[in-house]
Amino acid sequence: MLPLTALITGLLAATPPAPATAEKLLEEVRRPGATVTLVNIWATWCVPCREEFPDLLRLRRAYEARGLRLVLVNADFGEGRDEAVKFLGEQGVSFPTLRKEEDDDAFIRALGGGWSGALPATFVFDGTGKLVDAWEHKETYVVLESKIRPFLRREGKETTR
Amino acid sequence: MRTRTKLAALAAALALVAGAGMAAEMAAKPTALAIGANVPAADVKMKGVDGNEVTLKDVMGAKGTLVVFTCNACPYAKGWESRIVELGNTYAGKGIGVIAINANDPKVVADDGYDEMVSRAKERGMKYPYVVDATSQVAKAFGAARTPEAFLFDANGKLVYHGAVDDNVESAEKVTKTYLKDALDSVVAGKEVSVKETKAVGCGIKWHQQA
Repeated sequence: MLPLTALITGLLAATPPAPATAEKLLEEVRRPGATVTLVNIWATWCVPCREEFPDLLRLRRAYEARGLRLVLVNADFGEGRDEAVKFLGEQGVSFPTLRKEEDDDAFIRALGGGWSGALPATFVFDGTGKLVDAWEHKETYVVLESKIRPFLRREGKETTR
Repeated sequence: MRTRTKLAALAAALALVAGAGMAAEMAAKPTALAIGANVPAADVKMKGVDGNEVTLKDVMGAKGTLVVFTCNACPYAKGWESRIVELGNTYAGKGIGVIAINANDPKVVADDGYDEMVSRAKERGMKYPYVVDATSQVAKAFGAARTPEAFLFDANGKLVYHGAVDDNVESAEKVTKTYLKDALDSVVAGKEVSVKETKAVGCGIKWHQQA
């Protein structure tokens, strides 16, 4: 559950995701500061994406202090882009997010991991920016947690649950 | 002894590298049919929107065969739909066998049901079969993962193109690469397809759960 204040902040602060090519996305992945980066490609029309979204945000809240960077990449097009901004607001997202720019083939290939293009797609990069895991379905919080746990810093306080 | 230890260490390191490489590939995803492969699941009977059952073998054309996994509800399938219908209708008249397959479980997305398929085919004027893959077994045999996803076979029934319709789902006017049309033209002309595999964002297939 999100505190009301966070929800209000999110509604006020929800800004459109910034357009990003795969190259820009990978720059963000390689930017120093994180020990593990989770990239999630989502769209508002994708029901499992919407269902998984709160768990991704919860994961970020729990583990950002221990090195997790969550990069959300929206893949909506047309009117879906307005929907995406609305959805981000409803979810209380006040940190910067990205939107897929560039043709699909180039974008999908650049990300790698054998991604077919199906959504949701999630990629795990280690602290050096190397792809270590990827899947194209909705995951549970417990599994998401297990995927990033080996890369987290030991120090810091866990604030999950 | 020392050499042996070194070799063991090397083997362990190699195993680690191989393991890491595998981990970085999409987990739990069927491998897509390889270029050059034959039409799989060619004898599976699938019910079409006209009420008749057809197999892939039935629809194979003299010059080639186009199989498109699609559905009614996915915005990507809808975005490309009119272009798929246009290509399907056009190339069905040029010796290509064309079939659209819905492998989605309507229990997951109600709009992917049979009745919706019937009205969709009528509305869009599909002149080729639009059929139900009732257990998703055909999609699985193809290693299809999303909608829409096209597989094009040549006159010998070998896969020569797998992937997207073109490079812009949003606007037909902004398309710069007509992947599927180019592949179809090559197949009709009996020439080699130059771009054999492309990728596009799409909706994951909503697999039928085994009873």
